[in-house]
Amino acid sequence: MSELPAQKSLKTWSYLSGTRRRPSEYEVVSTGLHYHTIDPDNPWELDRNIPMAEWYRVHRNQSPLKHHDWDAFRDPDAMIYRTYNILQDGQENYVHGLFDQFSDRGHDEMLEPEWVQCLATCYTPVRYLFHALQMGSAYIHQMAPASTITNCATYATADHLRWLTHTAYRTRELANTFPTHGFGEQERAIWEADERWQGFRELIERALVAWDWAESFTVFMLVAKPAIEETVLFHFGDLARANGDTLLGMLTQAQMRDAERHRRWTSALVGMALQTDGNRKVLNGWLEKWVPLGEAGIVKFFAPFGVEGEAAATKAKLASRKFRADLGLG
Amino acid sequence: MAKLGRNAWYDLTRATNWTPKYVSEDELFPEEMSGARGIPAATWETYDEPYKTSYPEYVEIQREKDAGTYSIKAALERSAFVDKADPGWVSTMQAHYGAIPLGEYLASIGEARMARFSKAPGNRNMATFGMMDENRHAQLQLFFPHANIQRSVKWDWAHKGLRTNEWAAVAARSLFDDIVTSRDAISTAIMLTFAFETGFTNMQFLGLAADAAETGDHTFASLISSIQTDESRHSQQGGPALEILIANGKKAEAQQLIDVAIWRSWKLFAVLTGPLMDYYTPVEARKLSFKEFMQEWIVAQFERQLLDMGLAKPWYWDILMRDLEITHHGMQMGIWYWRPTVWWNPAAGVTPDERDWLEEKYPGWNKRWGRVWDVITDNLLNDREALTLPETLPTICNMCNLPITHIPGDDWDIKDWQYEYEGRLYHFGSEPDLWCFKIDPERYKGHLSIVDRFIGGLIQPATLEGALQYMGLGPEEMGRDAHLYAWVEKFRRAKAAAA
Repeated sequence: MSELPAQKSLKTWSYLSGTRRRPSEYEVVSTGLHYHTIDPDNPWELDRNIPMAEWYRVHRNQSPLKHHDWDAFRDPDAMIYRTYNILQDGQENYVHGLFDQFSDRGHDEMLEPEWVQCLATCYTPVRYLFHALQMGSAYIHQMAPASTITNCATYATADHLRWLTHTAYRTRELANTFPTHGFGEQERAIWEADERWQGFRELIERALVAWDWAESFTVFMLVAKPAIEETVLFHFGDLARANGDTLLGMLTQAQMRDAERHRRWTSALVGMALQTDGNRKVLNGWLEKWVPLGEAGIVKFFAPFGVEGEAAATKAKLASRKFRADLGLG
Repeated sequence: MAKLGRNAWYDLTRATNWTPKYVSEDELFPEEMSGARGIPAATWETYDEPYKTSYPEYVEIQREKDAGTYSIKAALERSAFVDKADPGWVSTMQAHYGAIPLGEYLASIGEARMARFSKAPGNRNMATFGMMDENRHAQLQLFFPHANIQRSVKWDWAHKGLRTNEWAAVAARSLFDDIVTSRDAISTAIMLTFAFETGFTNMQFLGLAADAAETGDHTFASLISSIQTDESRHSQQGGPALEILIANGKKAEAQQLIDVAIWRSWKLFAVLTGPLMDYYTPVEARKLSFKEFMQEWIVAQFERQLLDMGLAKPWYWDILMRDLEITHHGMQMGIWYWRPTVWWNPAAGVTPDERDWLEEKYPGWNKRWGRVWDVITDNLLNDREALTLPETLPTICNMCNLPITHIPGDDWDIKDWQYEYEGRLYHFGSEPDLWCFKIDPERYKGHLSIVDRFIGGLIQPATLEGALQYMGLGPEEMGRDAHLYAWVEKFRRAKAAAA
């Protein structure tokens, strides 16, 4: 024992030693971190029959979406914590710069009364929807079978809290300018009762209890998020600009940058899943079940806007369908 | 920068509970995941996190923190501190990295459990930052040791460690899985954030940072003290959850969660941090003894927090106070003796000067552990190394998954606390370990310790070599004495001088 054994030199983690090229910082800090997938049927170092072990066996291991090596997944943005904060701190400087500049110009005071009323019913209640996306991403995080998938969900959870925070900020500004419109007070009642929100509310409540990890991924990333983003970010943003609300149009555009990043890793994960026979059928089966709810959400949201709303709803539906079709689904 | 201060809009970011209509509240928040314990959602909405932050503040502050930590690493990289450091300190880092990064990563699952399933909106938002924090801690503590990967295969264990069945990795997973990954959201808030993080991470991240700075390892010191700044924020999620439980008649349940988490955390720190602080760190760089750190962070600060909350000290407090003087010395001896079974090179830490320090900090050390080290030292002085190496496996506690140890010598009091449950005989290292089992046997009853697996024929070949292979330890990865017995020479010289 007293003699030193000959040292073999590693260039990277033994876990990554099969890769031909030198691993990136992203791979060094992101891959193979879920020890509970090594013996997936007995994920925790406890009695194998505790409820949380059963939860992971049923909702992760027994998912009909199969792949022999989920750990091979790589985020096309190769996002890591350090770069996420650099990126988003810059984005937040931009958005808060917008808030300040528009506030200096008296933007809100110049809005038409009808549009202000519209914001109280169609915009500020969206914080419930954004928060539900935050909760849904946190579920994908804890159930994903690979750390590289979990990480994407981590940053998406934070992004959705970002959108919620923007909404809270704008809600308070609007409440300060228009103290009698119910801003900051009526959103829950509107979210729970106003017909325009009930489609998305039904979609999101049901999505939050889709426990199979891959079904949860499908409903959130392929149905709910595209529907919501095309509606309340993209087309409602257009509507805002048309009604003189330049600030909201620019804000939703900035938020769309996050959504586009989410779609890139979603697309990569779907592409990887489709390498396995049978998965297309599984994904399409889930889409058959969930897309009608997503589209109903879009239609109900735009219904009160008449002809203009009908056109926006059609565009939002088509854009969501195109996103899935481009992935070879639907 | 922003015109409206955080206070103006913060409450709106946590006014996010609604009454579900298309699914029931019980479906949306299943009790096994949520742990609301029958307390209505409206009550959980009163949860008020004491440490508030918002998204823009978070990304700005965290970007700045990372800029500092990574730039210190880059600036000091060329000085190659690790090549000049005392081997005991290198072992400290390797032991730390092998046990911590993947555990941190898994803590993000505990945070995500709260972010999805807590009925308290403030908890869900703070846990979102907690998920991010733990993502950071895993990435930092993988990136930093990876820079050393060409120096020794032992650095590989920063990634590999918790993926193996090495016994210390099993013990670490047993704790993390019990209090972090497999509990409902509210239990997680209490066990992970209030008990483990408030109580114990200070020890690892501030205590060890103090030693690192004294050692001259400024990269490690800045890294782990930066991590602690995140811990001290997100660890505050448990307090308001506790307040709600206590105010709603769930005090006894809350107390039990805390008592389990503190005992289980203590045992892991006794095996991991105790030896690092009191044996591996060069004696001149030891800021305080492990016991003194424990007394400062756990006894003085954490005990006061418990009492302020209206809770009691855990029932085993007197046992814990006594064991602060005892447990880690036995663990140290076990680790050193079974050194081929760990991924780092254990430092003995028992030169004459070091023994003086131990005797000063732990009066009576020489007549207890010192006497056993006398025999080991004597064997090494007389070229009987084989007698200082293991041939069998120790008895392992079925709760903490660590060897059963206590006081050797004249005060011998080592006891195997046995308990038969559903026809199986279990072994425990202490009364509180047995208590953790008895209050919830269904959580633990089917689990097999490393020795259970060995005896049960699950480890083949059933030899020490077979066990080492099972633990993922190749010949170059097995631990050896950190100083290659250089410390024994000090005794030889002293003996020669005396003669």
